[in-house]
Amino acid sequence: MDLARHRGLTVAAAAAPAGVADAAAELVEREERLVVSESVRGAVRADLDEVFRRHYPLVVGVAGRVLGARDQAEDVAQEVFLAFGRSSVPAGEARGWLCVAAAHTALNLLRSGRRRTSREESAGATPHPGQTEVADIAESVVASEERRRVRAALARLPRTQAVALVLRHSGLSYADVAAELDLSPGSVGTTVRRAESALRKELNRHAPSD
Amino acid sequence: MRHPTDGVLRRLLDEPAGVTDADRGHVAMCDRCLGELAVIRQDADLVHAALASEVDGGEVAVAAAWHRLAGAGSAPDRVRVAAPPRPGRVRAALRRPAAAGVAVAVALTGAGAAAATGWLEIFRTEQIAPVSLSTADLNALPDLSAYGEVVVTGEPDVRQVPDAETAAETTGLDVPEVTDLPRGVSGEPEYQVGDEVSATFTFAEDRAARAATRAGAPLPAPPPGLDGSQVRLVAGPGVAEVWSPSGGTPALIVGRAVAPTAFSSSGFPFETVRDYLLSLPGLPEEVAAPLRTFNADDATLPLPVPADEVSTSTTDVDGVPATVLVTHDRTLAAVTWVDDGVVTVVAGPLDADEVLSVARGLR
Repeated sequence: MDLARHRGLTVAAAAAPAGVADAAAELVEREERLVVSESVRGAVRADLDEVFRRHYPLVVGVAGRVLGARDQAEDVAQEVFLAFGRSSVPAGEARGWLCVAAAHTALNLLRSGRRRTSREESAGATPHPGQTEVADIAESVVASEERRRVRAALARLPRTQAVALVLRHSGLSYADVAAELDLSPGSVGTTVRRAESALRKELNRHAPSD
Repeated sequence: MRHPTDGVLRRLLDEPAGVTDADRGHVAMCDRCLGELAVIRQDADLVHAALASEVDGGEVAVAAAWHRLAGAGSAPDRVRVAAPPRPGRVRAALRRPAAAGVAVAVALTGAGAAAATGWLEIFRTEQIAPVSLSTADLNALPDLSAYGEVVVTGEPDVRQVPDAETAAETTGLDVPEVTDLPRGVSGEPEYQVGDEVSATFTFAEDRAARAATRAGAPLPAPPPGLDGSQVRLVAGPGVAEVWSPSGGTPALIVGRAVAPTAFSSSGFPFETVRDYLLSLPGLPEEVAAPLRTFNADDATLPLPVPADEVSTSTTDVDGVPATVLVTHDRTLAAVTWVDDGVVTVVAGPLDADEVLSVARGLR
């Protein structure tokens, strides 16, 4: 479980009527899997076209912020819209639902590739000697290393922090982020700030000393 | 006045209008806050740049992407979509299949106990027992709103408070004091409190019939008078103490709350309605069977647990029966118990012995 979903756990432990049961679900929940019931498989909602055209760039942007790569981000967006097409999420809630689904799905993808990323990260820490002789190549190596570090750090963040961070930097308002993650608008700032602080430390840790 | 929190300063950068005049006024006059704001701005800018991707560089080809989606089969099938929790944790919790099962089990009874504003108390949690189900079963369950209307009448408004005294005053609960922190956990906890929450479920025969149709079977005839009857679920307030290494993943959580209670607007025997709801199409028998064993007299709240991810065992904490949950990959352990209508949870990325040691050492 992503223990960092502690707020959910807190809520569960603190109050929800079904909270005790939910606490267990929260405890073991690595992510909420898509609930596309067998009965609706194959049926696609009529408003998918409109919702797709309106929100596709935003959804790709959210996944892109997590993954850094356009092709992967577009793959995630395709899946998210397919899932939406089979869901009964009210059209008015589509934007937030799609963004959160894209963030979670992309983070899951990132996390599943985490081991690989770590290996790449350590291998990348000692670039080939020849590369350092050519400034622009070195620069691009540094840039790609930085991207990897950012993604690795993102994968390590508590899930709520990571999602809040990505949604906020994708342009969702504090009220939107709060509504989607069930945070109070006041605590969105705290959550985003913590995530940024953690990422900055991660980046500084590897930054050249000069 | 007190300095605004980091979170307020962070919001000030993005949405100044979302920050109170008092905070804005303070920051403008406070060197310390202005300094902090500058640091926060630097971090925000750095992270924004770091998160930028090649996606930001050019136009997203929406039309081509739509064709790809419309081509259905051409979509990648290796990515599993994680459905987001729906807005409102309480509402989300109620929609959760596990919660639906619990609500079904807890739901209705005619055991005439104390009346509260015209409602009969029909269930008070005195203990918890795990019910192991597969994740697939949990996910396959219809949610509670398939059987009627769920109206959340009170949200928990979870918020941080400065100390244990404030948490105790706010919630009226004895805030547990941890005497011995596990190895690797240190410092002071963050205190969070939540208010009492309540939700009302109104059984709707037509909705249940539609759910049954979707599940491919007719709706069994409900007991006369069930249509429109209501159940109110109430829980909380609660408090949680969270130990986190500076902004990182929590290392230990101790939570305590008033355990769930259910009230009914009608006088149905608990067992009748429980059996009816559990007989509805769409509920796998493997799920219904264990829930059917719960009754109001036991005052035992079933705790659905995905058996493929979590092991459960029973023990005791100071003589009170307790349930231990450990994830199969052993990354997390938790222990929970109910004492005098109050549920307590100790959880963390620890082993079972460590959470038990914390639980037994609570004062």
